[in-house]
Amino acid sequence: MLQFVQWLNDTPFSSGLRGGDWYFPVIETVHILGLGLSVGTVMWVDLRLMGLAMRRERASDVIRQLEPWAMAGFAIMIVSGSLLLLGEPLKCYTRTSFRLKAIMLILAGLNVLYFHTRVQRTLAKFDSDVILPWRARMVGYASMALWVGIIIAGRWTAYF
Amino acid sequence: MNLQQLLLPASFFRLCETSRFGHAIKFSQWDFAILETLHIMGIAVLLGSTLVVDLRLLGLGMRRQSVAQLAEELAPWTWGALALMIATGIPMFFSEAVRMSLNDSFFFKMIFLVLAISIQWTIYSRAKRSAAPERAGFGKLVACLSLICWLSVALAGRGIAFIAIFVRGVRVS
Repeated sequence: MLQFVQWLNDTPFSSGLRGGDWYFPVIETVHILGLGLSVGTVMWVDLRLMGLAMRRERASDVIRQLEPWAMAGFAIMIVSGSLLLLGEPLKCYTRTSFRLKAIMLILAGLNVLYFHTRVQRTLAKFDSDVILPWRARMVGYASMALWVGIIIAGRWTAYF
Repeated sequence: MNLQQLLLPASFFRLCETSRFGHAIKFSQWDFAILETLHIMGIAVLLGSTLVVDLRLLGLGMRRQSVAQLAEELAPWTWGALALMIATGIPMFFSEAVRMSLNDSFFFKMIFLVLAISIQWTIYSRAKRSAAPERAGFGKLVACLSLICWLSVALAGRGIAFIAIFVRGVRVS
């Protein structure tokens, strides 16, 4: 793995990304704006599942209307994040924060998958309830905790 | 354009940075990283909550809800996040006040912040209350203004870290 990362680090594309004065700031700024769009919209779905916000809206309503925006946000995050990673593969590889972030991202993905395949269709008859069945609430709490963790680990990739 | 040229004497910023408060954060290993992390979480909530109302005003999302209802539900999150951002932003400012006073990006961030808060307080709350169909155009305009201002705050904020500062031709940060 280390060898691969080292090779990646030495490719002209990677050193080009590192070398440019403006690539990094611009990509990082896009990454931050993408954060507002992705986590900023998915948090309402989470909070609705947790029963803490949007309590008067139907759960399916919140999910259906905000999910496309969250998905667009995540697309921006993945593209800009991959470029940030390609610019500094070796640094990211050696940072504990980044490894934790990668693990939490995978868990967050699995959480969404679990929700869509197992939990979502059981919600129909509880749609207007403020307090949803425990599985749905757990998905909300897990998602929120993971995204908070991902933001912390992402910011700290610069330091630790 | 920066704060020192325009508003306040250099001594004010030196005073902030050398105060016990500013000094403590500047030389602590963890304080700045923790403050920055909370600050960035604040922006996710702040952008997220205004964005949802803006999308509604633009007719692009949450269309089954009324603007007023949505805004009422989300307002505490917007103001709470703004409070968190200010509460974490001020200590960060103190710890590097002199650099901030010379940083063009910080200056523009403050301009857009004042604009964004003013809009939020005035025409934005009016647009949220009077969501009659014949005033949808006004709502859309306000939503665009609000989005542009908040995104500019975030852009200029991120830019602070990337601006080179020169004092008498010598790069100092």
